[in-house]
Amino acid sequence: MAHRKKNRNVGIIGIGQTKYSSHREDVNQPEMINEAVSAALKDASLTMKDVDCIVHGNMELFEMVHQPDLWHTLGTGAYGKDCIRITTGGTVGATIACAADNLVASGMYDIVMAIGFQKLQEGHTTGGITNMADPLWFRHLQTGALTGTKAYDVIKEFGEERAKRASLMYRVIMDKHAGLNSNAHRAFGLEFEQIDDLIKTSPKLVGDLKLIEMCSQSDGACCVIFACEKKAKELSKKPVWVRDHITVHREEVFVMFGYDDRHPFPMTHRFAAEQLYKRNGITSPVDYFDVFEMYDPASWWAVDWLRDFFMLKGDEHLKLVENREIMIGGKIPVNPSGGVIGSNPIGATALIRVAEAALQVRGDAGTHQIPTPVNHALASGFGGTMWTVLMMLEKELNWQGVNNG
Amino acid sequence: MSLDFDRKDCFVVDGKLALPYTYFAGRMGSKFITTLRDEKKIMGVKCPVCNKVYVPPRQTCEVDMTDIRENWVELRNTGEVTNFTVIRYDDKHLPRKAPFILALIKLDGADSPFAHILEGIAPEEVKPGMRVEAVFAKATTSTILDIDHFEPARVSKVQVSEPAERTQAPAAAPRSKEEMEQDERRKAMSKKVIITAALAGAATMKNQNPAVPYTPQEFAEDAYKCWKAGAAMVHVHAREDGGMATHDHKRIKDTHDAIKEKCPDLIVNMSSAVGMGKTAEQRISQIIHVKPEMASLNTNTMNFSLVDRKSGKVFIDFVFENTFTMLQDFGKAMEEAGVKPEMELYDMGGLDNWLLISKQGFFTKPYNFNFVWGVAGGQAFRPDAFMTMKHALPEGANFTTCGVGTDQFPAITMSSLAGGHMRVGLEDNIRIPTGELAKGSYEQVEWAVKIAEIAGREVATPDEAREIMGLRKK
Repeated sequence: MAHRKKNRNVGIIGIGQTKYSSHREDVNQPEMINEAVSAALKDASLTMKDVDCIVHGNMELFEMVHQPDLWHTLGTGAYGKDCIRITTGGTVGATIACAADNLVASGMYDIVMAIGFQKLQEGHTTGGITNMADPLWFRHLQTGALTGTKAYDVIKEFGEERAKRASLMYRVIMDKHAGLNSNAHRAFGLEFEQIDDLIKTSPKLVGDLKLIEMCSQSDGACCVIFACEKKAKELSKKPVWVRDHITVHREEVFVMFGYDDRHPFPMTHRFAAEQLYKRNGITSPVDYFDVFEMYDPASWWAVDWLRDFFMLKGDEHLKLVENREIMIGGKIPVNPSGGVIGSNPIGATALIRVAEAALQVRGDAGTHQIPTPVNHALASGFGGTMWTVLMMLEKELNWQGVNNG
Repeated sequence: MSLDFDRKDCFVVDGKLALPYTYFAGRMGSKFITTLRDEKKIMGVKCPVCNKVYVPPRQTCEVDMTDIRENWVELRNTGEVTNFTVIRYDDKHLPRKAPFILALIKLDGADSPFAHILEGIAPEEVKPGMRVEAVFAKATTSTILDIDHFEPARVSKVQVSEPAERTQAPAAAPRSKEEMEQDERRKAMSKKVIITAALAGAATMKNQNPAVPYTPQEFAEDAYKCWKAGAAMVHVHAREDGGMATHDHKRIKDTHDAIKEKCPDLIVNMSSAVGMGKTAEQRISQIIHVKPEMASLNTNTMNFSLVDRKSGKVFIDFVFENTFTMLQDFGKAMEEAGVKPEMELYDMGGLDNWLLISKQGFFTKPYNFNFVWGVAGGQAFRPDAFMTMKHALPEGANFTTCGVGTDQFPAITMSSLAGGHMRVGLEDNIRIPTGELAKGSYEQVEWAVKIAEIAGREVATPDEAREIMGLRKK
């Protein structure tokens, strides 16, 4: 897993988000995107004149719009500029962040704007996802991330009571975080005392995956501006440095052919984490990172994935949740923003992880800011048939001594 | 290549995806459709920065990202075909039986075309550029088909001299932080003084001062010298070789282009008065043809005569006609063509006339005025009248001034002290303050530069002048 040394450093200098919500009748797609673009430009004190290239991403065809990057020029500001459309499924928001980082690091462009968006109420996600499957073998209507297998796994490993309570504990923590983030789509005001009730009353979707544990469909857009070191230092008081990122996928493991115990399918998370930490000399990620913005489509997955991403053993990940160490104020806060369970405009979702992690590093997350200093942040993306993207952000440009070449 | 490849035992999966779909039009699209449905009006939005008018409307200008959501303009129901296709097959989703024409139609005053059905003409007779007009549907469907179709226009030329059918409500745009900051910048910039040279006018002849330009080449040379001397803008009435003021489009465009070629930086401000005895159509159509950055817009009907200043004898009596309708139609035509109007105020009544018409809301900020002193038929220069005029202007407006004959230099000196700009040139006065004939308009520009120095004002470059007056370089 060779990782080439960066040609030059890249910093995040502008962040803009819309409010996330179930419907946005008041704006069309470019108008909604423009809200995030304008906010990011304002955040960076730039105008479109300063931007060299736009990287545009969403889940393809979820709005039933072909070539959305062209239709969206009015909102993205791409008129007369280089513009690249990327679509890698649920990870797309993270992929455009990686692409923007690469485009700047390469020297091709000094300032690149990454824009992720989704307006899920306009189209039909099942219509877009169904086409992933080969109709000769199976093309039942696909529901994307809706799967009960992870609940089955966790229950099998840790017992029904502990597993179900851990999943709901994670869910309530996310709801409490979402309640602090004015952009979040869903904040119900859940309390820890309700955990036992919710286990009994929340409707089951698939197996033991319950409605309350699943993410929403949201409308919204996120925009992050990346700049080369020289420009970042000139233009920004608090640039957030992109240290490294990694993408891992194994396309063949779509579980329609049956579950194989020898190859539990989300291996990509642990593999990506191992590679990333190894080449950056990080031995204990829980101690190293100050915040983790995780792509958590459902609380069952989230609980389990903590073990992969933090390279934990046994039930260490469950203890982090049970002891509320993942809450703001805990040992390693996860998703102070409320996470994907709180807001999920899919094409923007993974970019929001990067944006929120960067806001935490800057200390600009407002009411959901972690009270202790945030120097090292991790953001993840998830999607497709087990794709993983991880991005590391740093407050200081001081890791060059580490062998990442 | 043979198409006879082997299909034996090839299994085909038939399927059908029926997909729910919703489209959120947003406020802009919604207002377009509801205004079309309820008021039978076709609305667009205008970018105040680049003057592009978009139909259908959009929230931001694609060129400069300006937020234009509040800047609604009503368009005429007429326009021209920019391109078309003929639909020659029937299908249930199509709005007409084949064959029918689907045309791209650019409405008058719009810069972007949109697709619609064209009827009342055979497909083989359709030509890009042909004039068409909208026919509204009798029953509404809350779609773009509330315009039932377009058909060839009954009148084929732009009528600028007839009253427009409707007026439009003034845009009550809330002032954004950016706008206020821009105003601040303009205010600071306004400390710089813009010097304009009116090179010829319609009446000053070579027998009065041989430096008066007639040919495009002479205009270009003269403009160049004025620019070198410090002028940011020239004001032009084109002439024939014999010296007569002309409304001939080619001659005017040649004159304009010759100046721009010699001196690309300079702002050219064209006259919409042209000269005596020109019709309204002759006066405005040349502006729309040439599309200079700026043009004069006269604000009142008045005597504009040649009267002997000493004896009071009338040599030539002439009424300079500028009705309210002309003020409105010329103003609209200029704004729609992206030509910034410079309002000519010959007295306070002219300003009041403009203030009345401006309630229609089509004039874009910043507003630019020129106080004209000493026309036989207008008011003579008086400092207190000057200040009264200045105080009556809308907030944030720019003003410049010019004076006929001996009013010229006192008026511009006053303006330079009062924060205004200065116009000189042989159109207004053939002499310099010493009483000698000016060697050219440029010599008066040199005097204006001296006045600016005395008044402590820096002379604006053409680009600074554009920023102050809200012009977009062409």
